[in-house]
Amino acid sequence: MIQVNDLYFSYTTKPFIEAMNFTVEKGEIFGFLGPSGAGKSTLQKILLGMLPGYRGSAIVNGTECRHRTNRFYENIGVDFEFSTMYEKLSARENLQFFSSLYEKSGRPIEELLEMVGLQNDADKRVADFSKGMKSRLNFIKALLHDPALLFLDEPTSGLDPANNRMMKDLILEEKKREKTILLTTHNMQDATELCDRVAFIANGKIYALDSPHNLIMSKGATRVTYTWMDHGEHTASCPIDRLSGDEVLQKLIAQNRLKSIHSSEPTLNDIFMEITGRTLL
Amino acid sequence: MRLRHLFLWDMRFQAKYGFYLLYGLLTVLYIVILFALPQAWRGSAAALLIFSDPAAMGLFFMGAIVLLEKSQRVPCAFAAAPLHAMEYVISKTASLCLISLIVAAILALAAGLPHLPQVLLGTALSGILFTLLGMILATKITSLNQFILFTVPVEIACFVPAVLHLFQLLPTELRNYPANVCMDMIAGRSFTAAGILLLGAVIILLFYLAEKCVSKMWESAGGVKL
Repeated sequence: MIQVNDLYFSYTTKPFIEAMNFTVEKGEIFGFLGPSGAGKSTLQKILLGMLPGYRGSAIVNGTECRHRTNRFYENIGVDFEFSTMYEKLSARENLQFFSSLYEKSGRPIEELLEMVGLQNDADKRVADFSKGMKSRLNFIKALLHDPALLFLDEPTSGLDPANNRMMKDLILEEKKREKTILLTTHNMQDATELCDRVAFIANGKIYALDSPHNLIMSKGATRVTYTWMDHGEHTASCPIDRLSGDEVLQKLIAQNRLKSIHSSEPTLNDIFMEITGRTLL
Repeated sequence: MRLRHLFLWDMRFQAKYGFYLLYGLLTVLYIVILFALPQAWRGSAAALLIFSDPAAMGLFFMGAIVLLEKSQRVPCAFAAAPLHAMEYVISKTASLCLISLIVAAILALAAGLPHLPQVLLGTALSGILFTLLGMILATKITSLNQFILFTVPVEIACFVPAVLHLFQLLPTELRNYPANVCMDMIAGRSFTAAGILLLGAVIILLFYLAEKCVSKMWESAGGVKL
């Protein structure tokens, strides 16, 4: 669905995107992770055909991005982080308007509204919508023309837990419909839960690319941390696969002296910091 | 098909945002003003009113429309849609010109201006000229204050010569100046083929520039902050 080979781009004489190589398969959820200014926005602009002055190759849906025509967008849906609707129009009117920009007949508006639970608010002005409602509306706006490829930019940003869960379920539902999804997020939990693979981007380069599980497991096993009292509180930790060799832990268990014990594995954020030397936020 | 949809939606937006109501009220006000004037003045007054408001409304309303769209980040959605910038330009220009033509027709009929088709052609060409100028300016600005400031040179370049020309205070050599050709047409006066050609060339150039400016605005707006 997407093939990027030896991609270079620069706004000045200094390279901003350097030697990027990756592919995204049909039906995959692929995550871009990186701090602000890492080059994700520029990469997304290139893949959306808005920055034709790159070197190398970026092929999306079989089209080299620098040679895209307007028909290129018939098969791409973009869900921006912020609302891109006419606030004075109702949800239904906005969807009808944006739907009229595409040649494809796409998915029925009523069905989409029902899918995100907005069927009873369809005739309300978008200005009167809550952030969660706007996010859901923005999401279905990207689905209007039933595109094969979806760009989702921070789709869960600022949502309460219920809306966050609903949005993640909607994304997974689109994956079941064999959509290819490019997801940009700072939320490690979302990336771990949703993405088949993630690319760590910093300083215009891809530092690592793999499934969240492989990235976590490749950089550190789960550890067990425990505490006990002995003239004050003491803490120790041990890799989970060496517990039987930890004599202190064995002794504390035998004497029932453990105050607490828990296991923890590194998060994607920990791995990102370790690999790139930068934080995601 | 898409252009037709865009045009109809633009009319709907303009109705929602009160453009039709506003121009309904202004038309009544202008008719009252025209009938308050002596009969001998009505022709020139009507031409002046048509040129300075319904014909020139695009200059100001394009600023409002584009700023509103920018504030609601709608250009980002356009940047990632199969919409052509020229379709956007044509739709906005045509929908605003339609209001101009309706108001101009009512005022021309009320004032008893002769050569109604010529008045309407002049209004349409002026409307296109001003709307395209407004659109080009609007793509470059980020606030209403900026827009008001940027329109001042356009107003000086378009309104001052046209008003002076209407009252025959300019040398005849300047009759082919595009704004003056528009004014001649609205006032029901004769105009030259050279004037029409020059006006046509300016309008084609402005369409080209507007399309470039809109494309550039979408490109810069389409990049999302990640």
